[in-house]
Amino acid sequence: MSLALEVCRIAEEHVGTEGLGDVRTVVLEVGDDAGVEVSNLEFCLEALLSSPPFGAARPVIEPATGDVFRVKYLEVET
Amino acid sequence: MTVRTIEVRERVMARNDELAAGVRERLAAAGVPAFNLVSSPGSGKTLLLERTLERLGDRLRMAVVTGDVQTRNDADRLAARTDRLVQAVVTNGACHLDASQVAAALDAVDLEDTDLLFIENVGNLVCPASWDLGETAKIVVFSVTEGEDKPVKYPKMFRMARYAVLNKVDLLPHVDFDVDRAVAFARRVNPDLEFFLTSARTGEGLREWTDFLESEARRPSLHGTGGAYGATTGVRARRGG
Repeated sequence: MSLALEVCRIAEEHVGTEGLGDVRTVVLEVGDDAGVEVSNLEFCLEALLSSPPFGAARPVIEPATGDVFRVKYLEVET
Repeated sequence: MTVRTIEVRERVMARNDELAAGVRERLAAAGVPAFNLVSSPGSGKTLLLERTLERLGDRLRMAVVTGDVQTRNDADRLAARTDRLVQAVVTNGACHLDASQVAAALDAVDLEDTDLLFIENVGNLVCPASWDLGETAKIVVFSVTEGEDKPVKYPKMFRMARYAVLNKVDLLPHVDFDVDRAVAFARRVNPDLEFFLTSARTGEGLREWTDFLESEARRPSLHGTGGAYGATTGVRARRGG
């Protein structure tokens, strides 16, 4: 959950609190050696991104190699 | 309605890692090694620290930062064993400490008057593994009541740790726990992991543990390759306990 919250904080940093309701997709890259349990992360993100201050965003987790773990981009409705 | 893309490309842990680097710099400047004790709840971290403070309190100036989801119980227990500052961080639901909390806690610690810092993390074998606190090393504590396969069930924690304490060895005659299997599981995940076998309750193995801490506190370099006790030696010394 703490990692999911950090992802949400990064999203907020990039769109501002007011813009969070317009976020539709949060795309992450998670490496196979990142030490992240992808299904758990996805579950937590789905819960957070579908609740206020987010509207109806969904996480997309792209598998990668190595220990990469980053937010790649956001899709925002305008 | 249109959808625009905002490029981010930001590491999820970047902000914490930056703060952790700052903590590490402060500790290094003051020559203070810091050990981040991580474990599942109930492994005996607090009692181990209580015994450590009792045994080393007249020789080392030790500071402690404790993290708990709720209550200051651990900090209160530890404060009863030392005249020095014990800083309590209540995370209010978070399952781990982060570097910003440790940095804030250190503001109240006189590092120039400190030989050794302990960080007692929130009891959790998952989340604390991902969060660098600026420590010299993570020490994972697990106990013989938990099952030998903990290291392979929670591999990241054992991979991130440099040392492991297998605690509650006084209970070995009463539980189905094979020390060799546990060590083998841990080494499968982290071949360099160094072990201490202890009972904080009876004091077994605490001499090796405190000797190690004392040598680390007096070590000129904070980021040496390991403690005074190799894993194999430690395990052999305590086998059958």
